[in-house]
Amino acid sequence: MKNQSRRDFLKITTISATALVGASATKLFASGNPTSSIDPMGVLVDTTVCIGCRKCEWACKKAHNIDTKPIEDYDNRSAFENYRRPDHTSLTVVNEFRNPTAESKPYDVKVQCMHCNEPACVSACIVGAMTKQENGSVIWDTDKCIGCRFCMVACPFQIPTFEYHKALQPDITKCDFCFERTKEALLPACVEICPVEAVTYGKRSELLKLAKKRINLYPERYKEHILGEHEVGGTSWMYLAGMDFDKLKFPKLSTKAAPGVSEAIQHGIFSYFVPPASLFALLGGIMWLNKNKSKSEPDTE
Amino acid sequence: MKIISMIIIILSTGLFAQEKPHFVTQELQCSTCHTCEVPTKNNPCVRECIREYLVSVKHSAKEAPENILINRFEKIENIYQPVHFTHQLHAEMSHLAGGCQTCHHYNPPGRILTCIECHETGRKREDISKPDLKAAYHRQCIDCHRGWSHEINCVSCHAMNEGKPSNIDTKPMPKTVHPEIKTPERMVINTEYANGKIVTFNHKEHVDLFGLECQSCHSQESCIKCHDKNPDKLKSKMVHETHENCASCHDTDNNCSSCHAQKEKPGFDHGQRTGWQLNKLHSKLSCSSCHQKKGVFTGLKSKCSNCHDSWSSENFDHAITGLRLDEIHLENECADCHIDDNFTKPSCGNCHDDIEYPDFMPGTLTK
Repeated sequence: MKNQSRRDFLKITTISATALVGASATKLFASGNPTSSIDPMGVLVDTTVCIGCRKCEWACKKAHNIDTKPIEDYDNRSAFENYRRPDHTSLTVVNEFRNPTAESKPYDVKVQCMHCNEPACVSACIVGAMTKQENGSVIWDTDKCIGCRFCMVACPFQIPTFEYHKALQPDITKCDFCFERTKEALLPACVEICPVEAVTYGKRSELLKLAKKRINLYPERYKEHILGEHEVGGTSWMYLAGMDFDKLKFPKLSTKAAPGVSEAIQHGIFSYFVPPASLFALLGGIMWLNKNKSKSEPDTE
Repeated sequence: MKIISMIIIILSTGLFAQEKPHFVTQELQCSTCHTCEVPTKNNPCVRECIREYLVSVKHSAKEAPENILINRFEKIENIYQPVHFTHQLHAEMSHLAGGCQTCHHYNPPGRILTCIECHETGRKREDISKPDLKAAYHRQCIDCHRGWSHEINCVSCHAMNEGKPSNIDTKPMPKTVHPEIKTPERMVINTEYANGKIVTFNHKEHVDLFGLECQSCHSQESCIKCHDKNPDKLKSKMVHETHENCASCHDTDNNCSSCHAQKEKPGFDHGQRTGWQLNKLHSKLSCSSCHQKKGVFTGLKSKCSNCHDSWSSENFDHAITGLRLDEIHLENECADCHIDDNFTKPSCGNCHDDIEYPDFMPGTLTK
C-alpha cells in the first residue's frame, strides 16, 4: 500500500513535469519567429568594390575587444593563400578569389553573419538566448547560452562558432552587427573603417534599391543576383558580385526561410506531446513487464 | 481669344529662349542624358550618373591645380596622415589613359566639379546612392594604383599618424613634374610572320615627322605600362592590338610588306619614295604641313607655288634662303628673276645683259 502510494506520487509528478517541459518547449520554439521590424537596417557588400585591405577585420576586433596584430600587418596579402572562415578570433574575414576577366582586380569577399530576417539560429536555440532585434541584428545572451551548439548546426551559412578554449565558459561567437555601437547611433565598425565603402549601411529596402540600380547601371560589372534578397527568406546583409556566388564559396540556398523547415519538423514531433507521451508509454511498458516478471518469479520458486 | 493665347505662347517662349538651353551650347544628343524621347518638366527621365559622356569643359593640364592637400578628414586620433595629391602631375599623365574624366567623371555644363560637390563627407547619411567622399577618393586612387603595384598598402600614399598630431606640411608643395619620358629612336621588332620577320619601327619619325601624338598609340595604358612593379605579369600586346595601332594609317589587312621585311628597313626617305628630295627647310616639316588632306599623300606638285601661293615680293623674307637682297632688287617681283617658276637658279637676263648668277650677287649672302 505504501509502495503503491509512492508510485502514484511519482506518476503524478513525472506527468506534470513532462507537461510543463512540453509546454515550455513549444513556447520556446514559437519565440523563434522573427520579431524584427518590417524594414530593418542592413548592409550591402559590393564584392566588386572591395579591395581586400582587411581593415574591417582589424576594426571588428578592436570593437569587440579581441586581440589583434597592429593595423599595418593587415597589408600583408599572404592571408589570402588559405580560405578562411570567421571564428572566435575574428568575427569577420575577407577571402580573395581570382577574377577571370581582370587579373589585377581580384574579387574580395567579406564573410560574417548575414543576420537573416528569419534566423534559423534563433529558432534552434533551446534556451532562447538568440534573438532577432528590431534593427535587424541577430544577437545572443551569453548568460543564457548553455553551449548546446544547436545554432551552429542550424545556421544555413555556418556562421556561429564555438569558443572551445574556455571549457567552463561556454560561449558562441559571431558577428553581432555591432549591436552595442548601433545602439549609440554609431556605424558598425567595419562599415566605418572601409576605405572604399564596399560595405554600405542603410535601410534594407534602400539597399535593395541601390543594389538594383548598380546592376542596372553596370550590367557588365555585376551578375544579376543580389544574394540575401530572397535567400532563406531574406537577410539583412546582402551581396553583389561579378561572378556566380557559388564560385565565391557561398552556399546554394532556397528562398524558404530555414526555421520554416526545421520548425515544421520539430513542431510536428512535439505536437500533442508525442515524444514525452511515447517515451513514458515505452518506460511504463517496461516497468509493467518487469513488475509482472518479479511477481511471477516467487511463484515459480 | 486664340490670338491672345498665341501671343502669350510666343512671348513666353521668347523669354525662356533668352538663356540658351544646355543642349545647344554643349552639342549634346538628347539621348545622352534622357532615357525617353520627349522629356518633360514632370518627367525629365534623366539618366543616372552619365559619367564621361557629359564632360564639357576641356582644359590643359597646365591650368589644373598643382598639388592638393587632402586633409578634410584630419583628426589627431586618425591612423593615417592626410595625403598630398600631385594633381597636376596626374593630370599631365592622364592623357595617356582616359583623360581628366577618368576622375572627373561627372560634369554637367559649366566648370569642372570637385569631388565634394557630389560626394557627401559623412558615411552615415540619408542618400546612399553615391559613395561618400572618403570612399570616392580611395576608389579613384586605388583603381589605378593597385593595377601596377599589385598591392594595397595604405602607407604607399599615407604616412602613419602614430598618435601624434599630424606633422604634415600644409604649405604648398613644390611643383612636381613627371621626369621626361625617354622615347626610342627606332625599334626593330622580330615577329612570327614568315614572309617578313622584321618590322622596323621608326618611333622618332612617327612623332616628329608624321606628327603622331603620344596618345594616338599609347591610349588606355595608364601608369601600368611603365610603373608595373611586376613586369613579368605585363603581357606583351596581342598581334591584333599592335595592328590596330598601325591600322589607322597603314593598310594592315592587305599590305604586309609596307612594314614587314626580311631585314631592317631604313627610315622614310622622301626623295627615294617620291623622286623629290626635300631640302633642308622642308625636311624639318611634318608631313601634314604640306599634305594637308588627312591620309592623302599624292597629288601635290613640286612647284613651289603649289603651297606657297600667297608669297609675293612684299611679304617674303628673301634672307631665309641665305641671300639678303639689296635695296634695288627688293623692289623686283619674284618672277622678274625666277623665270618659269624656277626658284633654284635666278636669271638676270630680264634687266642685265652680261651678268650671270652666281658671279654677280643681287645682295649679300647670309650663310
